Amino acid sequence: MKNEGTTSLDWGRIRFFLGEVQRNFTRNAGMQITAIGTVAVTIVMLGVFLYARSAFIHAESGIFNQIEISAYADPSATAPQEDTIRTALAKDPRILSVTFVPKREGLAQMRRLMRGEIDTSLLTENPLPDKFRIRVRDAQEVPAVAQSISRLPHVQNVEYGRQVVQRLLQLAAVMRPVGIAVIVLFLLVAGIIISNTIRLTVFARRREISIMQLVGATNMYIRMPFICEGLLAGIAGTAIAVGALALARASLVPKIASALPWLPINTVAIDVSALVLELFAVGAAVGAVASWIAVGRYLRA
Amino acid sequence: MISLRGVSLVYPNGVRALDNVSLEIGKGEFVFLVGHSGTGKSSLLRLLYREMGPSSGHIIVDGIRVDRLARGRIPALRRHLGVVFQDYKLLNDKTVWENVAFALQVTGAHTRDVQRQVPRALDLVGLGHKSRMYPDELSGGEQQRTAIARALVNNPKLLLCDEPSGNLDPANTTEIMELLRRINLKGTTVLVATHNQAVVDRMRRRVVRLDNGRVITDEERGYYFLGLGQDQILSG
Repeated sequence: MKNEGTTSLDWGRIRFFLGEVQRNFTRNAGMQITAIGTVAVTIVMLGVFLYARSAFIHAESGIFNQIEISAYADPSATAPQEDTIRTALAKDPRILSVTFVPKREGLAQMRRLMRGEIDTSLLTENPLPDKFRIRVRDAQEVPAVAQSISRLPHVQNVEYGRQVVQRLLQLAAVMRPVGIAVIVLFLLVAGIIISNTIRLTVFARRREISIMQLVGATNMYIRMPFICEGLLAGIAGTAIAVGALALARASLVPKIASALPWLPINTVAIDVSALVLELFAVGAAVGAVASWIAVGRYLRA
Repeated sequence: MISLRGVSLVYPNGVRALDNVSLEIGKGEFVFLVGHSGTGKSSLLRLLYREMGPSSGHIIVDGIRVDRLARGRIPALRRHLGVVFQDYKLLNDKTVWENVAFALQVTGAHTRDVQRQVPRALDLVGLGHKSRMYPDELSGGEQQRTAIARALVNNPKLLLCDEPSGNLDPANTTEIMELLRRINLKGTTVLVATHNQAVVDRMRRRVVRLDNGRVITDEERGYYFLGLGQDQILSG
């Protein structure tokens, strides 16, 4: 038959194919805009979410790294007794570092911190005990490590931001599944809308499709323009979304940072280009998969 | 070219469209399939180009076991045959040339072949000079000729026509039938489902008559009405 010579690049064929895609795309301009808009909104939400999430992860790790356990030695403990505490701490593999703060230094630190608030010169003797500042490798281990330290001899008291640590751990545990669920939901919505748009195009072109089938076009060939249409919608929507996100980031993030200085967000460390790539991949994939399903249903029917 | 053995087709709603049909059509034959509306003519054609599968029986078209054809092999079958319908099934936003070329383009033909075969097909149906016109600028007969050119552009060995003159006046009908005759003379097997008595009676070709989904007669050089044919044969 006539399929010989398909190895050479055939511009006529490529033009025909692109013409088909373009006709698809412009036929339902209104619906196409709706689909692109939905993708854009979805990707904006996804982008904000991912951005916030990675900002939070960075903040989270920042906070966790700052978590310290303070172990106070018994005020009556002697230097050798304090040495046994030091050795016990050094042996614990969960502990990253131990800093000894003798009470004299502790007082000096307190004086610096409280300058102008309390007149520390009124103190006639040093009320502070010797202190060990302990940093733990894994924030999750903080409560357990704190507990085991408190059982050491000559340790009077152990402190750590118990509530803060527990809240953060809880939050971190909730963030991941909730995040995944929200993302999946967004993607489903976008997919359904693209799928419906493609179905409209398919419906508008049902006559052409039936003729294609009649003259022996393969389902793959019939599918291709629609897949490309979905891909285009996905990519166009993502492009709009990424533009909007970039604008928002440029104008809003500094404002947020200055309005809420206590918010421990670290946006510098976020890999924006990877995020953009991710968003484009997601947008394109949603478009392609949704249209694949939409046409597939029609072709089987 | 076509072989049906014990073919039955029952629609999901229980209607028996074909009932134990057996039929052999050789290479290069010209065959009319006649009968009232709803006697199974279109159903039989649909089985041949695998729009549907039979409920039972064997179907062979050009050496292909059509009744067992896997879905993925259907396009290959369709490239081996041309189909023409009463309503032409042309794309109104494409020119005559584009409509004919479409059949090649969507099957992945090379542009070189498109440019060689489309003019050939258009010349065959006598529409070379109207290739830039759109279907709604053509007469019914010209539209049907465009459809025939599209069916033939692949050089199929078999042409299936479902009421090709159903929407045409007598002059155009004659024109289309003459075209089909010429196509047949070039070696293409032609199967025409029709209930146009004048056409069948004038052409005097093999006539397979369906009634209620069964083949009731099969005559060489037949007439549309069984009675008329026998009378003529008896008196002649």
